[in-house]
Amino acid sequence: MRKVGLGAVGVAMVIGAAACGSSSSGGAASPGGGSTNPKATVVLGTTDTIVSADPAGSYDLPSWTLQYNVYQTLLQVPPGTSDIAASAANCDFKGKTTYVCNLVPGQAFSNGDPVTADDVVFSFNRVIAINSPNGPASLFAPMKSVTASGNTVTFTLKAPDATWPDVLTTAAASIVDQKVFPAKKLLADDKVVGSGPYQLSSYTPNQLAEFTPNPHYGGSAKLNNSKFVVKYEQDASTLVSDAQSGQVDIAYRTLSPTQLSALESSNGLSLAKGAGIEIRYLVFNQKLQPGDTAAQKLAIRKAAAQVIDRASIASSAYRDTVTPLYSIIPQGLNGATEALKTEYGAAPDVTKAKAALEAAGVTTPVPLTLWYNVNHYNDADLATELMRQLNASGLFKVKLQTAEWATYDKAALTDTYGAFLFGWFPDYPDADDYTGPFFPCKTAFLNDHYCNPKVDQLISAEQASTSESERNQIFAQMQTLLAQDVPLIPIWQGGQVAAVRDGVTGVEDTLDPAYDFRFWLVGKS
Amino acid sequence: MASSTTGSLRRYLVTRLLLVIPMVFILLTIVFILMRVAPGDPIQASVGAHLSPAQLAVREHQAGFDKPLLVQYFNYLGQVFTGNFGTAITDHQPVTQVITRNGGATLELTLAAMLVAVLVGIPLGLLAGRMRDTWIDVSSRLFGIVIYAAPVFFLGLLAQELFGRKLGWLPTSSQASVLTQLDIKPHTHLLILDAVIDGKWGALPDLLKHLVLPAAVLGLTISGVVIRLVRVNVIQTLRGDYIEAARARGIGERGVVVRHALRNALVPIVTITGLQAALLMSGAVLTEQTFNWPGIGNRLVFYLEARDYTAVQGIVTAFTLAVVVISLLIDVINAWIDPRVRY
Repeated sequence: MRKVGLGAVGVAMVIGAAACGSSSSGGAASPGGGSTNPKATVVLGTTDTIVSADPAGSYDLPSWTLQYNVYQTLLQVPPGTSDIAASAANCDFKGKTTYVCNLVPGQAFSNGDPVTADDVVFSFNRVIAINSPNGPASLFAPMKSVTASGNTVTFTLKAPDATWPDVLTTAAASIVDQKVFPAKKLLADDKVVGSGPYQLSSYTPNQLAEFTPNPHYGGSAKLNNSKFVVKYEQDASTLVSDAQSGQVDIAYRTLSPTQLSALESSNGLSLAKGAGIEIRYLVFNQKLQPGDTAAQKLAIRKAAAQVIDRASIASSAYRDTVTPLYSIIPQGLNGATEALKTEYGAAPDVTKAKAALEAAGVTTPVPLTLWYNVNHYNDADLATELMRQLNASGLFKVKLQTAEWATYDKAALTDTYGAFLFGWFPDYPDADDYTGPFFPCKTAFLNDHYCNPKVDQLISAEQASTSESERNQIFAQMQTLLAQDVPLIPIWQGGQVAAVRDGVTGVEDTLDPAYDFRFWLVGKS
Repeated sequence: MASSTTGSLRRYLVTRLLLVIPMVFILLTIVFILMRVAPGDPIQASVGAHLSPAQLAVREHQAGFDKPLLVQYFNYLGQVFTGNFGTAITDHQPVTQVITRNGGATLELTLAAMLVAVLVGIPLGLLAGRMRDTWIDVSSRLFGIVIYAAPVFFLGLLAQELFGRKLGWLPTSSQASVLTQLDIKPHTHLLILDAVIDGKWGALPDLLKHLVLPAAVLGLTISGVVIRLVRVNVIQTLRGDYIEAARARGIGERGVVVRHALRNALVPIVTITGLQAALLMSGAVLTEQTFNWPGIGNRLVFYLEARDYTAVQGIVTAFTLAVVVISLLIDVINAWIDPRVRY
């Protein structure tokens, strides 16, 4: 449910640099054969916008990026994996609805206060109590209560939920100091205190954030720099300019394929690429989409799925910075299949699409108004290519319409658009994050009027199961059903790309589906 | 006679001050209505993409956006009159802090731009007026018209391309380089002044380099007006009898123009240049966008896109008050200088 900030237009990017260097401090080996300078200052430029440095006040990737480096969570996703590991605690289920965490001793906030189980309980209750309009309280909906006893934190869940450990890896679950943070309101950004590897030394909103090592940090991360600075840029063209002039060492999010090409050909810069699980998809509002009957509407959706050429979209609209997506669950996550490829084939097939429409008695070409957005998703090229492909099939007559984000978002989710493009950015790298919010009949956020009780059951079943193999089977069944019903058509899965100045190491180590940019991994040789 | 004049001026000032109240009130109302009429709302724009309608409704209720418009309106007016502009919805920043912090950057830019406008506009206007209908006059007028008509962002892009990218002489964005900015402790939020206060002399070259392009672009745009104003006023002044008298007294032409013509021509110029404050602020919005200058206009655009009612209302109110106060001051000066200006 995490959103990318308003400035997050275009393809998602993961930075992958040339480094696979170890994380040891004091001159870690770099892949270029040199060693990292532990006293280096690294400057990262981004078009991100921080909503809040207080974990209770934000639910967006830019703010979470800051928080991942300033606060600790109970659990974490180690670099390069989508596994869950201990961070500030060792945790496990003790029964279906009881999750127990034992704090790792020796953790302290940057002001010297020790991290206690009471701090953890305070942190969770505070997020719920504040329930900020921009906050992540909804992520804690599965939690019934949280209690502390000695060094132990016990979460009681309302129902069995296999994704609870994933929630604990998110910045929403950051541990805050109860002596510093007010219980009922947000703390000012420049006053925040965490127990993560860095402290926020200075912060000028929307301009600069300066991170220096937390002198009391008791975790396992080893810092490859002595200062990390984030420069918040107004737009991507400024970011490009600053990367080319050397004002920033890393240009991370969000750059268009054209801008990435320009940076790749610039002196002293190279592109780092990594896996990403941001997705883009085409939604049909089943109340408003073309078609007189449910059967006709289904046929129209299937025909569209049959004629869309994802590979062509990836190459022509995105210069292969994205990959074709054949399921709502992106590749790389446990349980992902390519159900739409199985159902409709990898290549477009107009004949089959035409047959499906004829069988349902649909008159062609089907008029279709396709809505897209540019100031949040930057989907102009995608929409144009989709229109070209659908019209070229002779089965559709597509008209494009666009709206700015503030209008688009609301209209799309409130029965205004029959067909529209939307994107998804993960809260955590688990397949449930790509199904649970989308398809339950009563709580689907898309409000697209899709309801399949069987899919509902499967979602409940995978959420209740802690067996990976069982969950994978359930997800496979679900994806097959979704490919047959096609409530939405997955189009692409975004990789992450960034421009990195020569001599900067460790960036690619942090570019993984967790979308946790770990500042401490980055150094300079 | 003297008391009558004083009374008249006092009456004028009181009337002028009273007129400020409905002016501000109308502007605040217009801003409030425009924000509500615009499609979209801040909660939806900020977090709506992935929340169910029910969750959104809860959040809109928490923010008070489900209250009747009149209630919201009077809450807003109440906040303004108590000097509390609230907290931005999108980034939780107190709006007063946004105005102070980013307003400092805008003030720095506008002051520098005004300096450029005066330094370019007055000499060119003076020359054009003095050498009327010569090639210098025609060139100055042409320059004034073209530069005034050219969009600020277009001039900015050209300047960035030439001086930033092609020649590499000047930075094309931001108020300072990263490390310089980190080194300066903000007191006034005018970084140059802050650097001087703290004796960070080493930072000044970097700060000035960053200021040159945006200030030059905005200042040159405004200079178009100044050139024409100075020219017209100098021409009119040079026709005056006292100029002829000065010449007859054997004062050199340079002295006549600079000491007599320009000095007298400056009165209306200063007045009208002051009134350019509103133009300067609107120009600053575009200039800040072009040069990634962290000013108040830049933030206004951001908050507008996010439909952040609270922040936009606060910033526009601050803009409004600034323009109203400047206009008031100009009117007062005008009335003080020219006894004919009375209600």
